Amino acid sequence: MKQIAIIAVIAGIAAVLPLVIGESPYFTGVLISVLMMAALASAWNILGGYAGQYSFGHAAYFGAGAYTTMILISKFNLNPILSMVAGIVVACIIALVTGSIVFRLRGHYFGLASIAVAEIVRLSALNFDFTGGAQGILLTDVSLWGVDLNSKTPFYYGMLLVLVVTLGIALSLRTSKTGYYLQAIREDQDAAASLGINLAFYKNKALLISAALTSVLGSLYAVYIRFIDTSAVLDLRLSIEIILTAIIGGVGTVWGPVLGAVLLVPLAEMLRSNVIGDALVKQGMVSETSGLGVFLKENLAHAHVLVYGIITVLCILYLPKGILGLLGRKK
Amino acid sequence: MVSGGKFLQAVHFKGVIMTFFFQSLLSGLLTGGVYALAGIGMSVVFGVMNISNFAHGDLMMLGMYMAYFAFTLLHIDPYLSLLLIIPTAFLFGFLIEKVFIHRIIHHPHQNQILLTIGLGLIMSNTALLAFTSDPKILTTSYSSSAVTIFGGISLSVPLLLSFVITCLITGILFLFLSKTTTGLALWATSQNREAAQLMGINVSKMSAIAFGLGTALAATAGALIAPTYYIHPMAGHTFLLKAFTICVLGGLGSVVGAGVGGVIIGVVESMSSTYLSSDWKDVVVFIIFLGVLLFRPQGLFGKKGEQ
Repeated sequence: MKQIAIIAVIAGIAAVLPLVIGESPYFTGVLISVLMMAALASAWNILGGYAGQYSFGHAAYFGAGAYTTMILISKFNLNPILSMVAGIVVACIIALVTGSIVFRLRGHYFGLASIAVAEIVRLSALNFDFTGGAQGILLTDVSLWGVDLNSKTPFYYGMLLVLVVTLGIALSLRTSKTGYYLQAIREDQDAAASLGINLAFYKNKALLISAALTSVLGSLYAVYIRFIDTSAVLDLRLSIEIILTAIIGGVGTVWGPVLGAVLLVPLAEMLRSNVIGDALVKQGMVSETSGLGVFLKENLAHAHVLVYGIITVLCILYLPKGILGLLGRKK
Repeated sequence: MVSGGKFLQAVHFKGVIMTFFFQSLLSGLLTGGVYALAGIGMSVVFGVMNISNFAHGDLMMLGMYMAYFAFTLLHIDPYLSLLLIIPTAFLFGFLIEKVFIHRIIHHPHQNQILLTIGLGLIMSNTALLAFTSDPKILTTSYSSSAVTIFGGISLSVPLLLSFVITCLITGILFLFLSKTTTGLALWATSQNREAAQLMGINVSKMSAIAFGLGTALAATAGALIAPTYYIHPMAGHTFLLKAFTICVLGGLGSVVGAGVGGVIIGVVESMSSTYLSSDWKDVVVFIIFLGVLLFRPQGLFGKKGEQ
C-alpha cells in the first residue's frame, strides 16, 4: 500500500509539474525523456531485474512499436491507438521467437541471442523498402480525436501514464506468484525447476510483458518525434542505455530504474547541450579561448556516452546494487 | 542437338559461374582467417575466465588505430607494426584484467558483461573524442594490388598477407598452448579452474595472461584488417557481434572451434554478398547464429551438455 501511495504522490506531482514550469518546450522535452527512460528501464527491469534474464536487445521491441505505428499511420492513416496496439502485437511476436529459441538454454546465451535478434530487426528495417530504409519515416501531421498532437504536453501525460502503468505492473508482480517464481529463477534456476516451476513459461511471460510495454513507449516516442530511423529507435546503443539506467539506479528494485533515469537523463542532456562546459567557462575555471575551453566546447556534447561508461564501471566495481543500494534501501 | 557455338558458350558461361564461386569462396576464406583470430581471442578469454568480453570489438578497434598511427606517424608498415602492437596490446589487456576484471571474476555473469560493456564504451568514446568520428583509411603502396591465380581468380594482396600472418600467429599460439608450461597451465585452467588451482597453478595470473592474450589477438585482428577496412571509433560493434557468432558457432571456449567458426563466417559472408546482396550478409550471419542456438547450442566443437 505504501508503495502505491508513493506512485500516486509522484504521479500527482508530475501531473501538475507542466503547469508550474509553464510552457517551456525545452524543459517539457527533457521531462518527457526522463519519463520515457524511466519507463523503458522499468520495463527492462521486469525481465532483467526480476527474472535475471539480461536482454541486450530491447531496442528491437522499442523499434517494433515505433516502426509499426509509423508505417500504419503514414501509409494507411490508421488511428494512432490502433497502430500502437498493432505495434504491441509485432513486438510480442519478435519476443516469442527470441524466447522460444533461447529460453531453453542458460548462461550467456539469452544475452547474446537478444543482440542477434535486435541486429536482424535493425538490418531488416535498414534494408527493406516499406520501412523507409536508411531515410526512415517522416510523419507530417497527426491527430487523435481532435487533440492536437503537435504540442508536447499530450506526450508528457502519455509517457507519465505508461510509466505509472509500468510501475504498477512492476509493483504488483513483485508480490505475485509470477514475481516470486521469477525471483526464484533469478536466484537459482535448478532449484526453481526442481520445485516444479516451468522455467521457459515464466521467462517468456516476463519477456512478453517487458516487450509489450517497451513497444508502447516506442510507438509514443515515434508519434512524439514524428520521425524515426534505425539509428534513433533500433540501435544497440539504445538497448545499452536502457540497461545502464536500470543498473546504475538499482537493478531488481521497483524504484531503481526511475532513479537511474532521473539522474542520468538530465546529466546526458546537460552534457549534450553544453551546460556544464558553459558553466566551467562562466565560473572562470576554464578560459573560453584556451585550448581546453575550445576542446570542451566542441567535444563535451559527445561525451555523455563516455560518462555513462565511466559511471557503469564504477558502479559495477563499487556499487553493484546501484545507487539505490547506496541509499541503504533494501526494497 | 546443341550446336557447337552454343555449346562453347555454355561451357564459357559455366566457367564464369565457377570463377565467380571460387572467387567468392577464396576471399571469404581469407577474411575468415582474420575473423578467426578475433574469435580465438574471445574464446581464450571465455575458456579461461568464463567471461563474455563485450569490449572485444573495441579492443580490435584500438588495434586498427594502432596500425594506422604506426603507419602515418612512424611510417611502419602495418604488418611489421604487429611486432609493436602485439606486446603493447598484451600489456594493456594484462593491466585491464589486473585493475578491473580481476575484481569481479566471482561476480554473476551479468555484472561481468556490464563491466566489459562499460570498459568498451570508455574505449570507443575516448577514441571518438581523441580521433574524431571521421573514418580513417590506411593506404599502403600495395593496398589495391591483387594477384591472379588459376586464370581469373584475383586475390587482394593485403588480404592474402593478412591470411598468411593469421596462420603463422595461430600456429605459434597452438605451440604456446600445447608445449610451454604457461600454455598448458592456461589449458588446464580453462578445463577446470578449481582442479587447476589445486594442482598449484596460479589461476589469477592465468586469467591476466588469458585476457592479455585475448587483447593481443583482438588487436592483431584489428591491425590485419585495417588496410582493407574503414577505421572508425565505432567499428568495434560489428566485430564484437561477429566474434560472438564465431565463438558460439565453434562452441564457447573452444579455440579450434573458434578458428573453424571464423573461416565459416568469412565464407558465409562472402557468399551471401555474392549471391544475395551485401546489405543482407550480416543478417545471414545472425540467422546462422540463431540456428546454431536452436539446433546445436553446444556449437560445432563444444561438448554436449555444457549449455
